[in-house]
Amino acid sequence: MIIEKFFNKWIMFFLILIPTCGVIFDEPYFITLATKVVILGIAGIGLNLALGYCGLISLGHAAFFGIGGYITGILSFHALNDEVLFSWPVVVSGSSEMLIIWPIAILVSALFSFIIGLLSLRTSGVYFIMITLAFAQMLYFFSISWPNYGGEDGLSIYIRNSFPMLNTMDPLSFYIISLFWLLFSIFISLKLINSPFGMSFQAIKQNEERVKSVGIETFKVKLLVFVISGTITGLAGSLYTDLNRFVSPTVLDWHTSGEIMVFVILGGMARLYGPLVGAAFFIALEQTLGSYTENWQFWLGLILILVILYARSGILGLFDKKLKHEK
Amino acid sequence: MKNKILNIKNLSKSYGAFKVTDEIAIDLNFDEIHALIGPNGAGKSTLIKQIVGSVRHDIGSIVLDQEDITDLNDVERAKIGISRTFQVSSIIPKFSALDNIILSLLDKSKETFQLFKSIRKNKELDSKAKKILKEIELSDKSNILASELSHGERRKLEVGLALAMDPKVFLFDEPMAGLDESGTKMMINLFKKIKTNSPILLIEHDMDAVFALADRVSVINYGKIVATGTVDQIRSNVLVRDVYLGYEI
Repeated sequence: MIIEKFFNKWIMFFLILIPTCGVIFDEPYFITLATKVVILGIAGIGLNLALGYCGLISLGHAAFFGIGGYITGILSFHALNDEVLFSWPVVVSGSSEMLIIWPIAILVSALFSFIIGLLSLRTSGVYFIMITLAFAQMLYFFSISWPNYGGEDGLSIYIRNSFPMLNTMDPLSFYIISLFWLLFSIFISLKLINSPFGMSFQAIKQNEERVKSVGIETFKVKLLVFVISGTITGLAGSLYTDLNRFVSPTVLDWHTSGEIMVFVILGGMARLYGPLVGAAFFIALEQTLGSYTENWQFWLGLILILVILYARSGILGLFDKKLKHEK
Repeated sequence: MKNKILNIKNLSKSYGAFKVTDEIAIDLNFDEIHALIGPNGAGKSTLIKQIVGSVRHDIGSIVLDQEDITDLNDVERAKIGISRTFQVSSIIPKFSALDNIILSLLDKSKETFQLFKSIRKNKELDSKAKKILKEIELSDKSNILASELSHGERRKLEVGLALAMDPKVFLFDEPMAGLDESGTKMMINLFKKIKTNSPILLIEHDMDAVFALADRVSVINYGKIVATGTVDQIRSNVLVRDVYLGYEI
């Protein structure tokens, strides 16, 4: 019987195989698709920490994805136009260096996650869902009404930001960069879920009152998980802008939050590789069914219903030996 | 006053016109098991919730080890030494019995915010947790998911969670409910042993266990303490027989 760990090895194999085929058969489009899967997988891995492991049903992760995306777009836009970003109290110009953009995107995403988490985590259940959604929608409408950076039309950055000794315009090079961040996100998630902190937030998902009763400050734990989760999703947003060389208010829209959530649910909540599998499945459906009908999401909806009804542990859950045994 | 670890004065809580607890005054001495008995709905569990801070009281004060904890929240009270069990088993169902205990040890050992240290490599936590499992006679269930434990084993595990916190006082809410004879016997022996380190406020319906364990007994009815005394005093109290015991002992 195939078990999840074995399946995870196959996932890693495919992450290498697909771009290799793209190079061999001279099909850069496959590499770009794989890059998209990897980046959306990172976004899902971020949400999975909050949603899958800690039970925080955030419908506002588009906010962090969009913030990471806009930070990258804005810095790059200023660098390309040789304009200063702001001149008071000190002169700060834009940058087209990934090594400069990433830390800024990470820090700003973390800051916004902290502020949104601080306010949202005072609520729970449906109120938490609504308040996170409201924050993301506020940022969405703010981006639409911000003409300096394209407003509704979005912001194009024409060429990808640069990375030392790599041609980021080469699909394979950019894929390798994205893959590095995917592996890093998986590594961080793995370390977290196996730590005492991870034990605390996984327990909160199951029985918060009990966790409080043993003296653990559940608010602080949830806030930290939310910040780490939002930061990882923000990093994915930054990479996504570079992939498309474009960022628009769509990345902040609640549809994006919903899609990231779909990756997590489809692949399997609280499963390390679940969001990646979910993202791959989503893109595969989009590419295959999308070539037959514009309304391919009808079929996605149907599949989602089946997964929720019959495979609550997602696609990866189907390969989980322990789970089958329990049944 | 000096020999009192927990001192509750005038504690009241109302939901609208209904008084759940009415000017409760109760204390707990060092080395003592103080049992709280009364009919269902008398306000026993609400009193426990008020002491641990999960239900805010309207008036009154709570002093733990000479420190006024009235304004502290539930987590702060747990941190400074109030440990409880729940009336209905409250455990982490998808954690093993061992991991449930380890979770309970985290705060005391200041490990909660260790982000990247593997919990599996922490030998100290592991051995402490195993020692507690041995004490509650669940060593052989160490790796079993808590959700797969029997009702009695879950009650034991709850007591284990409380023990792991090494608190100043224990508040046990019907810890023996659903236990078989040997389980009850084990619990009685355990409580006698641990009360010397941390006294116990015990809510229990099993009168044999109460009379075997309690140094003092208080009887609560309609949110009011109607009698407090030694086991013999309570047994012979006519009002208590009328309110709760209802039979000759």
